[in-house]
Amino acid sequence: MTHSTWPEWIYIGVVTAILVWVGADSWYIEHLLDKVPEDAKIIKVTGQQWFWSFEHDDGTKEVGELHLKQGQPYKFEVMSKDVIHSFNIPDYTVLMDAVPGRVNTIWFVPEEAGEFPIQCREYCGLIHYNMRGTLYVEGT
Amino acid sequence: MVLELAKPRPVWQIMFSTHHTDVALLYLITSVAFLFMGGALALAMRAELFLPGSQIISDSMTFNRIFTVHGTTMIFLFILPFASAIGNYLVPIMVRYKDMAYPKLNAIAFWMIPVGSALIWLGFSDTTWNAYPPYSIIRAPGPAADMWIFGLKIIGVSSILGAVNFIVTILKCKHPDLPLSKMPLLAWSILTSSLIMLVAMPTFAAALLMLLTDRLGVSGFFNPAMGGDPIAYQHLFWFTFHPEVYVMVIPAIGMMYEIIPRFSRKPIFSQGSGIAAFVLLSIVSFASWAHHMYSTGMSFTEKTVFMVGTLAAVPASAMHVFNFLATMWGARIRFAAPMKWAVGGIALFFAAGAGGVLNTAMPLDFITHDSYWVVGHFHLFVFGTIAFGSIGFFYYIFPFVTGRMYNEKLADWHFILAFIGASIVFFTQHLLGLYGMPRRIFDYPAFPEWIAMNQIASIGAMLIGISMVIFLINVIHSSSKGKEANMDDPFGIGGKYYYPHQAKTPHHHSGY
Amino acid sequence: MSHTEHEEPILRTTPARMGKMLAITIGIMIVGAAIFFSMWDYWISLPPAVARQKVVSTGPAAVATGKEIPVSLTFIESPDFKTMAFNALPGEEGHSPEIHANVGDKIIFDVKNGGKSFHAFAVTGATEGTGPAIAGTEIGSASNPLKPGTGGQVSFVPSKAGTYYYICAVPGHREQGMEGKIIVEEAKPAGQAAPPTGNKVSFSLNFLESSDFKTLAFNALPGEEGHNPDIKVKSGDSVTIHVKNIGKSFHAFGIVTNADEPTSVVSGTTVKDPNNPIKPNEEGEVTFTAGAPGNYYYICTVPGHAQQGMKGNFTVE
Repeated sequence: MTHSTWPEWIYIGVVTAILVWVGADSWYIEHLLDKVPEDAKIIKVTGQQWFWSFEHDDGTKEVGELHLKQGQPYKFEVMSKDVIHSFNIPDYTVLMDAVPGRVNTIWFVPEEAGEFPIQCREYCGLIHYNMRGTLYVEGT
Repeated sequence: MVLELAKPRPVWQIMFSTHHTDVALLYLITSVAFLFMGGALALAMRAELFLPGSQIISDSMTFNRIFTVHGTTMIFLFILPFASAIGNYLVPIMVRYKDMAYPKLNAIAFWMIPVGSALIWLGFSDTTWNAYPPYSIIRAPGPAADMWIFGLKIIGVSSILGAVNFIVTILKCKHPDLPLSKMPLLAWSILTSSLIMLVAMPTFAAALLMLLTDRLGVSGFFNPAMGGDPIAYQHLFWFTFHPEVYVMVIPAIGMMYEIIPRFSRKPIFSQGSGIAAFVLLSIVSFASWAHHMYSTGMSFTEKTVFMVGTLAAVPASAMHVFNFLATMWGARIRFAAPMKWAVGGIALFFAAGAGGVLNTAMPLDFITHDSYWVVGHFHLFVFGTIAFGSIGFFYYIFPFVTGRMYNEKLADWHFILAFIGASIVFFTQHLLGLYGMPRRIFDYPAFPEWIAMNQIASIGAMLIGISMVIFLINVIHSSSKGKEANMDDPFGIGGKYYYPHQAKTPHHHSGY
Repeated sequence: MSHTEHEEPILRTTPARMGKMLAITIGIMIVGAAIFFSMWDYWISLPPAVARQKVVSTGPAAVATGKEIPVSLTFIESPDFKTMAFNALPGEEGHSPEIHANVGDKIIFDVKNGGKSFHAFAVTGATEGTGPAIAGTEIGSASNPLKPGTGGQVSFVPSKAGTYYYICAVPGHREQGMEGKIIVEEAKPAGQAAPPTGNKVSFSLNFLESSDFKTLAFNALPGEEGHNPDIKVKSGDSVTIHVKNIGKSFHAFGIVTNADEPTSVVSGTTVKDPNNPIKPNEEGEVTFTAGAPGNYYYICTVPGHAQQGMKGNFTVE
């Protein structure tokens, strides 16, 4: 019975090296993302079948639309009123599940002004496909 | 093994037989029938998604039910029963025993499949095949969702009974002169996948029961209104179903281990490597489940643990790829249909694994989670690897089961169209995911890039559909009217490579 | 185990065998499809049990005033689907009409989906969100909504004063404008029950059914003379009601304040009950003193029988 020869060990070594690099790099970037900027303004995001509503730190409420300022860090507190949804701004790689019974947080800085779609990224029933909104980033 | 004596047995006697070859045939017919039914649902979805707006499906509720049943069918009614079919047919032969350890239990396990599948298909629930609560508890309409739960429960029991049967047959009924280390790798793949199934499936059985009592309102395990935690379900679900994906892939790789050495006219590069990789994969597969849950609000440490667990399983899969390539290196290969499918399967397996490594990188998950990237990724595994390996093996055992040869030209067309089609659909879906398109959606905004990519994907899917029609014609025609096969060497490989039924003593392991 | 035997081996898959296998497999698929499609509406028609428990009723039914308020409502949407409403868009005449009623009035909603989207109807006391809906006021639901062009009828008898809302129960639609107010004021003071006058009156009522069991009635079938007679008594009268079951089914008798609510029975006015009913050819009798003036109903208290026709007016003056 043949046993592993050196080509196989080298191959496994290369594969493992790539995996270690992917793992270490991911760890490092995630570590950076874990720190929320101190001046981040809090936005409460509520998902429910089938629309998003927002509340700014000064009490202003918005439904289906979110108006933010360019360059200002924001921290989203994401909640749900009924089933699991997932708050997603694909252009800014913002993605966090809205789970009833808990509050999840994610932060970002809208660096570019403009209009960006908001969508739901967890199946939530009949109109999941159209649970959309718009992010308006006002330029400074 | 395949040939009947003078008077063919009546059909009903085959249906209610407990002999392993008959039960295998029943599993085979059932699983292939569901491959086509699930595939039809997939084609309906791709036709619908060709353009924004409603094409052939009138409302989102129907679409949601279609993708739920498509996923459930392909996993529980095609992939797992097909592996059972192959295992049932060949494991007793490979371990030199007269039948499975528990023949009657074997037949019972099969007959649970039609019952469970009837519940699933009649209800046609809309919970998605994961059935995450709270949606599946407080919103999913009945009785469809309840029928789905019962159907899956029955199929789960069937899987566990099958797994027990395989483990006992291989470990206890194996011929005393056959050491485990010389046992064919296909048998090893069935053994390891059955062991995973035995450990992993009961968790999901418990989760299903809890889901049902939650739906009835008598418990609140996953219902926040009653103090429960929906994320608990996800842990229980993925603790079963991440190892479960390995239960699906490992037999397909085992099937490739039958095909590739034989058609390369060379022994497998390293039997020991293959065994080690199967065993390693089974163990490490239990360490990665929560990579499906990165977006639920897990902490940095939790995510890191599961990322490491996921990455740890990759070298084992890589060992299989090396084993195959090293076996084919310098060989005089007979490129009949089974070999084409096996090699195509390896290529797509590699692509699937590479994409998976990107998925598991924590920050990249923010881009890919629940988008079409995931759809493309897992389909490269379930279709590109598992279905390719299964179909290739189907062509391989065709002459042994039927005594006839399939039409090689049609099989070639089947492979070419399926390979091109699969590459088109699933790679395009990776891109769609990067462009942000969520999964499980009936309709999408008219972004030009999304429309173009959806159309390309749908064309690829239609190619697969056409290839499957060719397959059906080939199978039906060749089974009843095909040329008689040369039972000593159906594929004209030549040489001393034994087929399972030819090995005269336990010392000749099947092939190399 | 080689198979170079002397006799001609017969291969396993003859055309006949193949045909049988295909026939069985495809036959099963066709039977399954027939069952599935013939019962298309059923499979996703029930909300999960835990969600059904959330539907509440508004407490004990009120004395029916006899006044009926018919309301016609049509779901409509603006062309860009951003605004939704009942009957007319905001700013136009007839937009989401406000309904005024008294406790005990019966508001009959005739609802139609005149839009392009899916909707569902409910009356709720909640000021926001989709519920909980008041029992019996729902047409369709979020998971089984009304398609364009379809509709239905429900009635609502408020038993407490306050502000209620008629809404579209599809999540999000109420917030987009599909809401209207129902303002319910206290009932006009009910008349005082008069002291017993000693006046005795008696009536005979017979339970009967049509031969196809689809229509039920007292004394005579619809269209015939004597069908569901109106009974008028004065407050304080001693009323005796003699009932006989001349039908083939089981029945029970009672005076109720709300004909749609068999449980809104006025105490002391019953003969047997749904769990212990009057069998065919059995008779019974009840005597009571007529109480506060108002419009009541006499019904068969077996659930569903009043809706099938076993009800009549019982007025106390």
